[in-house]
Amino acid sequence: PKPKPAHLKLETNKRVEPAEPTPGMQALKSARFLEIKEDAKYPDGFKSPNPALNQGGAKLGRAYDRDFLMQFQSVFKEKPTVDWDQKVKDTLGSGDEPGSARTASAR
Amino acid sequence: TNGATNGATNGTHDPEKIITVFDDPNNFNVKHALQHAWTLWFTKPPSGKQDWNELLKEVISFDSVEEFWGIYNNITPASELAQKSDYHLFKKGVRPEWEDPQNKTGGRWAYTFKGGNRANDDVWLHIMLAAIGETLEEDADNEVMGVVVNIRKGFWRVGLWTRTAGQAPKKGAAAAAAAAANAAATTTEGDKEEGKKRLEKIGRRFKSVLQLPEQELVEFSGHADSAHSGSSRAKAKFSV
Repeated sequence: PKPKPAHLKLETNKRVEPAEPTPGMQALKSARFLEIKEDAKYPDGFKSPNPALNQGGAKLGRAYDRDFLMQFQSVFKEKPTVDWDQKVKDTLGSGDEPGSARTASAR
Repeated sequence: TNGATNGATNGTHDPEKIITVFDDPNNFNVKHALQHAWTLWFTKPPSGKQDWNELLKEVISFDSVEEFWGIYNNITPASELAQKSDYHLFKKGVRPEWEDPQNKTGGRWAYTFKGGNRANDDVWLHIMLAAIGETLEEDADNEVMGVVVNIRKGFWRVGLWTRTAGQAPKKGAAAAAAAAANAAATTTEGDKEEGKKRLEKIGRRFKSVLQLPEQELVEFSGHADSAHSGSSRAKAKFSV
């Protein structure tokens, strides 16, 4: 006969460390707003906002064309917070209940 | 030193050196401010007998370009939302409801994509970018309240909510103007015409973001008319 398996030992006294914010999350939090007069130079290959949108008026320096904005898409991918995935799940639904985002099997 | 690069002088630890997210996504020290702070909302499809109010959930607010992308890159794409879901991206402080005092006398431009209930992610993204990038209206218009995508049975729809519905000013204001100018009718008609022109210009920009063929029409309706008709399919006030 097979030997009886040993009792499963669970380490219950091990503390779960809260997730640490990533460097990118911290950078976003501590970064200051770029000022209009600073006229930042972007690295080669990146373009500045279309100056035609920023010639004056109340939104001077705060109007951004699509081409400028799209440059960030593949550059900044940090989650807003360490508990973001749980928040999305709680707010949008987990996908396995009716009325939530589509489940993987529904694709 | 010539300060050619972002005013940097020398050394890598110069605290004045501007580092954008393009220079270093882990150590940038400046971010790009939006003209307005925005809040993303989600309408959860009903699974029982909740009120619509309970289904409308505030997700997050943000005020920089970088934050927007952090959110967009880590949230369910519109194309994967279930039927009866909505995303709403509204200026912070405005609830995405007709009942919000700031929306009461407003309206919306809308376009319905028929024959499918799966949103095109690029279309929704481009509308959001036009809103937060402030390219839908002129400075002084002060019309844009928010943008919406609705996922429904057999269709999906995008909307752009505006503060006014091209109506004449409130009776009180009109009466005061009339007393002063003694020309109530012309004043009111003039304002109405101006309001309509302002909204049509915004509607044409909305249409161009959607990249619709010229013969396709986007339609504007006032929230009050929609509320009275008991559905969101009120007769269009105007179209472009």
